[in-house]
Amino acid sequence: MQMKVENINPFIESVYDLFSTMLNAKTERKTVGIATTANPRDIMALIGISGRVRGVVGLAFPVSTALAMVGRLLGTEIKVIDDTVSDAIAEMVNIVAGGAKARLNKGDEPPLDLSLPTVIRGGDFSVEFPTNSVWLEINFESELGPFTLRVTFESEKK
Amino acid sequence: MKALVVDDSAVMRKVLIGALSRVNITDVDQAGDGVEAVQKVQENDYDIILLDWNMPNMLGIDALKAIRSMGKNMPIIMVTTEAEKSRVLEALKAGATNYVIKPFEPNTIVNKIQEVLNKAKGSSLT
Repeated sequence: MQMKVENINPFIESVYDLFSTMLNAKTERKTVGIATTANPRDIMALIGISGRVRGVVGLAFPVSTALAMVGRLLGTEIKVIDDTVSDAIAEMVNIVAGGAKARLNKGDEPPLDLSLPTVIRGGDFSVEFPTNSVWLEINFESELGPFTLRVTFESEKK
Repeated sequence: MKALVVDDSAVMRKVLIGALSRVNITDVDQAGDGVEAVQKVQENDYDIILLDWNMPNMLGIDALKAIRSMGKNMPIIMVTTEAEKSRVLEALKAGATNYVIKPFEPNTIVNKIQEVLNKAKGSSLT
C-alpha cells in the first residue's frame, strides 16, 4: 500500500470522529505534508498497525492542547502533564488508529491489528523510520488548540 | 448494583465510571487487563461488565470467553475501538450482550448501559 490520499483519509475521518463525539470540539484539517522532525516540546502518542498494512500512527499535541483536551474529556480542569494526560493521549491515538483500521478493512480480509500505544513526552527525541517509508504530517486546528497527526505505512515493495 | 469496568486506560475507566454513575451505579470495581477481570469475576458478583478488547496480558475477547465459560450470565458490553463487523460478530458469538465502538458520545454509552440493564431485569422477571 502506498501513501495515497485515500489511505490517509480514514485517519483524518477518525480524528474528526474522536473530536466530535468524545470531546465535543470542532476540528479542522489544515496543512498536509511530509513530516520532518517532531517538536520535542510536544507530547506524542504512537501506535503500530500490522497485518496487510504495516505502519505507525502518531498524534502530537502541544502541552496546552493536551491539557485542554484531557480536561474536556474528564470534565475537569487539568493543569499539569501527568500520567493521566499520558494515558488519555495514548487512548486517543488508540481510538484514531482503531477507527482508521476499520475504514481500511476491505470485505472479508482479517482485521488489521494494533499494538499497545506508547507515549513520548519531555526532552529531546527523534522518530526515525526505514528509508522506504514516507511519514506524512497532517496539521489540525481545534477549539482545544492545534495538534498534528502523523502517519506512515510501509511502502509497497517493487 | 455492582459493576466491573475493564480497560487498560485509566482515563477511559474514569469516563465509563462516570457513565455508570448516570444510571445510579456507583459501586464499581476496576481492572486493567483481562487476567485481572477474570480474577475479579471469580471473586465477586457483578450486575454488569464494561469490557475493552485490546489490553495487555489477556485480550477482552478472551476474558469474555473465560467469564462465560464460568457460567456467569451478567450483561457484558464490549467497549472497544475494534469496529470491524467480523470483530462485532466474534464478540456477540462469544457471549457479549452488546457492543459499543469508541469513540462514543456520552449519551450513547449511558443509553446502552440502561438498555442492557432493563433487558436483564426483564428477563429475570420472566
